[in-house]
Amino acid sequence: MQNPFARERSLGVSRTRRRYDLPLNKAGGTGFLTLLIGLMTFLALLALSASFVLSAMTDRWSSGLENRVTIEIPAENEAGKILSSEETKKTGLKIESLLTSHPAVLRTHIMTDEEIRELVKPWLGENLMLGKIPLPGLISAELQEMTPETIQILEKKIKAIHKTARIDTHEEWLGDLLRFTGALQFAAFILALVIGLATITAVAGAVRSHMAVYHAEVELLHLMGAHDSYISRQFQRHSLSLAFQGGLCGVAIGGLCLLIIGWISGEMGVSLLPDFRMGYLQLGVLATLPVFMALISALAARQTVLKVLRKMP
Amino acid sequence: MIRFEHVGLRYGIGPEVLSDISFALEPGSFHFLTGSSGAGKTSLLTLIYLGRRPTRGLITMFGQNINGLSRAELAPIRQRIGVVFQDFRLLNHMSAFDNVALPLRIQGKAESEIRNNVQELLEWVGLGDHMHVLPNTMSGGQQQRVAIARAVITRPRLLLADEPTGNLDSEIGFRLMNLFEQLNRMGTTILIATHDQTMIERFEHNKLVLDHGGLRVEEPKHWLSKKIDGVF
Ligand SMILES: Nc1ncnc2c1ncn2[C@@H]1O[C@H](COP(=O)(O)OP(=O)(O)OP(=O)(O)O)[C@@H](O)[C@H]1O
Ligand SMILES: [Mg+2]
Repeated sequence: MQNPFARERSLGVSRTRRRYDLPLNKAGGTGFLTLLIGLMTFLALLALSASFVLSAMTDRWSSGLENRVTIEIPAENEAGKILSSEETKKTGLKIESLLTSHPAVLRTHIMTDEEIRELVKPWLGENLMLGKIPLPGLISAELQEMTPETIQILEKKIKAIHKTARIDTHEEWLGDLLRFTGALQFAAFILALVIGLATITAVAGAVRSHMAVYHAEVELLHLMGAHDSYISRQFQRHSLSLAFQGGLCGVAIGGLCLLIIGWISGEMGVSLLPDFRMGYLQLGVLATLPVFMALISALAARQTVLKVLRKMP
Repeated sequence: MIRFEHVGLRYGIGPEVLSDISFALEPGSFHFLTGSSGAGKTSLLTLIYLGRRPTRGLITMFGQNINGLSRAELAPIRQRIGVVFQDFRLLNHMSAFDNVALPLRIQGKAESEIRNNVQELLEWVGLGDHMHVLPNTMSGGQQQRVAIARAVITRPRLLLADEPTGNLDSEIGFRLMNLFEQLNRMGTTILIATHDQTMIERFEHNKLVLDHGGLRVEEPKHWLSKKIDGVF
């Protein structure tokens, strides 16, 4: 007996392929929507990366500085006389022994000239004859807990040893920095939100116009007793797949851009900033962007279809 | 099975196309629906297949007052009704096979069951060689047969047909009427809107006649005269 499916096969009609009851994949505007979602994903990728880099920066800058103070011994005394480096060192040692004897202080470290040179290099340049410039003394100290009282007491004692010495708690510039990066992160967050909303709006608009174009077909399904969820699934699947495709393109192009940016900044030797490599978790988040775009698109399509269908009897 | 009580329908702010319609279709009955063009046959069928809500009156379907039902509750009722639309309403982007399979897919039937049933039915209506042809490349009569196959594939409890034999030669027309009769014998309630007097006379069934927005029931003349002969 002849295989009953032989004819179907010979006609090239596969019966297992998932099909649409509505010709959505042939509908106009599909390419446009894919492109739009690709662009949105691209922007979202850049915004998220920027936000990750910023948070890595603030982490790195603030983590090293927590509960740390730096005692600065200026290279000149209150009378404006330049101190020799031996004198500065002697004062430094005196202050250090004072600090170590205090119970609130955990650790101290007198920075060597080398370390100080390394610190000021980005600002003053290597070529300056650093050896000839009198360097201030710097002592970094780690406290058990940074309270204003402790700082006050320590400052008083230090001033008794050297009038112009002062404690720098980094609070001021760190606070400014954190406020600045916080604002940038907030902007990135708002940008991501706007991208999400724009995607939802675009998908909803496309679904609405498709439903208008295929009104007769949609109504027919409805009259045959299709539940709203059956009809919305058609649009959902379609939006899901094209948003995923768009998302993949966006992430691919965005990733390429990030690599190029990374390469250029590496080439130009932007070593002023520490190296901000993203962690696996953050890369993972970026990689799931297409999935996320696909999901919000499907959800937007579903809500739109259900809303339109509610007008049918 | 179906009961209309004082049902009226108007489109927008136009005049009432149907006014004060009351009738009942018993389970397993077979009726023709006639009336001149524009009398409201299609409109009445639309009310029955729940394509529109009436402007007034009470409609009871399968024992349920449809005014009190939610949208979700109407879907299973619609699944029990097969409709042959006057303009067919076939989906032109899918094959005849897929068009006929659509109601089964909507009802979530298994693909193997769908394949066998649809193939069998299409062969039965003489379209075995046209299963994978798109409807818009078919003749009017072929499209009509696809539309009929789609309406009966689910073995509906109620079958509504709007001019189902309009485009068919009498040979195929009678075959399809026989299909309807066969379905009717298996318990499907049938209501067919038609102008076709020969059909109405040949198959002796009760007639619902639409006239000036009202509806009256007529028994078949043949049958009526036989009854009178028997009595007197
Ligand atoms: N969607 C609609 N909007 C407005 N008026 C309509 C609509 N459908 C039908 N009508 C009007 O309702 C009246 C009845 O139309 P209907 O299609 O029900 O008649 P019919 O008996 O099926 O006619 P035919 O035998 O020509 O198919 C007509 O006057 C028509 O103009
Ligand atoms: Mg009509």
